[in-house]
Amino acid sequence: MSEKPFFVGYLPAPGPLRTFLLSACVLLIAGLAGAGFLMGAAQDDPGPGAFRFDYGRQTVVGVVEMTPYPVIHVVEGNDRIKPGDSFMMTAGGKSGVDGRAMPLNGQLAQVSGVVLERGDLYMMQVRGGRNGLQAAEGEAPEIAVEPQGRWQLTGEICDGKCLAGAMRPGRGLAHKACANLCLLGDVPPIFVSSQPVLGEEFLLVTGPGGTRLPREAYDFVAQYITAEGELTRRGDLLVWEIDTDTIELSE
Amino acid sequence: MSVKYTPVQWNPNKWIYDAVMLAAVAAFLWLFLYVSPEALDHERAVDPQIHNARAFGACAFMMLTVILCIGPAARLDKRFLPLLYNRRHFGVMTTFVAITHSGYILNWYFNFSSSDKYVGLLYANSSFGQIAGFPFELFGIFALICLMILAATSHDFWLKFLTPPVWKRLHYLIYAAYFSVAAHISLGILQEQQNHVFTVMFMAGAAAVIVLHLAAWWSERNDPVSKDGAWVKVGPASSFREGFAKIKRLANGDRVAIFLMEGQLSAIANACAHQNGPLGEGKIIDCLVTCPWHGFQYDVRSGRSPAPFTEMVPTYRLRLVGDMVEVHPDANPPGTYVDPVPLPGAATEPTPEGEPA
Repeated sequence: MSEKPFFVGYLPAPGPLRTFLLSACVLLIAGLAGAGFLMGAAQDDPGPGAFRFDYGRQTVVGVVEMTPYPVIHVVEGNDRIKPGDSFMMTAGGKSGVDGRAMPLNGQLAQVSGVVLERGDLYMMQVRGGRNGLQAAEGEAPEIAVEPQGRWQLTGEICDGKCLAGAMRPGRGLAHKACANLCLLGDVPPIFVSSQPVLGEEFLLVTGPGGTRLPREAYDFVAQYITAEGELTRRGDLLVWEIDTDTIELSE
Repeated sequence: MSVKYTPVQWNPNKWIYDAVMLAAVAAFLWLFLYVSPEALDHERAVDPQIHNARAFGACAFMMLTVILCIGPAARLDKRFLPLLYNRRHFGVMTTFVAITHSGYILNWYFNFSSSDKYVGLLYANSSFGQIAGFPFELFGIFALICLMILAATSHDFWLKFLTPPVWKRLHYLIYAAYFSVAAHISLGILQEQQNHVFTVMFMAGAAAVIVLHLAAWWSERNDPVSKDGAWVKVGPASSFREGFAKIKRLANGDRVAIFLMEGQLSAIANACAHQNGPLGEGKIIDCLVTCPWHGFQYDVRSGRSPAPFTEMVPTYRLRLVGDMVEVHPDANPPGTYVDPVPLPGAATEPTPEGEPA
């Protein structure tokens, strides 16, 4: 019988074993290094959403509407945001601005903050206190409300802020708990449609009759679903009142 | 071996082991964090916090995979045994990498809300009734708790305090942790991957763990088991090799290591008092049975470690019937001296005093 090298931890490794162990060490380091690169290089594109700090602070005047999520329909814009644009508002972190927007519902207000942008999805993270949202002088114009009928749509419910660029990636199942926390904090929910709806990919999603997104829908956040609901264009924004009884998981 | 507890009993092999381990982990993280983004053509980069969380999470999975492959690889090929030697350090480092992963996740996905991030972690997703969308974070929490328990009890103090059988069973939690990590990954990141490179690597890693364990089990499945009762046949006297052992599995599942030393046979329990390492796969060095895992040593006649060490293993009685060596399945209390059985025709010499390790 041949004498096999026997390793004892506190003694020098036997000569014949050294080559094998050296090879194992090199293989381990090279293997983990290769795995690190491959796994890192295999990450999916998180999308184009981002905080647009490069735009600088944006200040506009518009009509506040609780859909029930706070939306501003711009009346006096600036170089970047034009009158007639409508976008959702949110506060810092995973918080909405419902408390500040509700007293201004239907009134003119000045809104100031930083924009989050993802394609044609706009959202503004307003500044704290009155600097971010305050009543403005003037008569609030009527906001056009155009019912678009009942629609069956396929896509994903997300929290609007992370989707718009507060996080990259800001959608998908790995992000579901974060999205739920945002929605619980009154960040407006967005439905990302698999097909353009009246030219829009992103829709504000609410419960039936202008209520908040029902809690039953939270189980389906970040999943690919099909559901029905009434669609309404409010100013420049499409609002879909999802009927939670019709939600089905899609392939 | 030591007669007192110190944080780490460093020796050159441990330094080399830890250096290789650190180099491998550093290479993984450096390439994931700083090199791989250059290969991505994303319009906007993944958030640094998410990128970091993914890097440390993926690294922890790979480290766990390697750790779990070492055991069966060493059972299939003894040359891998040195990789077992300092595996506890590998495990502790894996725990720290996993904690870093959880830190990034907690401080990003669960931060910035009005609720406490730890509370948010537990209640934000309550979709327990479905597979897709199941709160996969819970599997990660469970795995992390397992890893922390294993890391906290990895020191020899706990081994001695809990006793090796209890400690060993406790450390089987590594399998629960790995299963939980696999579920964490499967129900989390794998559900939304468009690029399937990570999926393939995850499945290859998990498959390696499963296949190696099955192969090790397969290779040992024909290990003959003795019948219950007195005196069990081990093998003909001529089948023993000087300085090495034959291992016999008893009806109660215990294994006995029967060593031939200087022409005389002695039997001790196969499980080392340190970490249940397979003493029968060791050899006799300086007249002492030396465990292949960590080098703990025992006098083969008494099962006692040489002074000043205090470890002891049970001994067994042997007899020779014709040419057949037989062992009695009733173990003597640990440290009980048993007269060795001389083999006919073999030269016997007085046993020199063994040097402490």
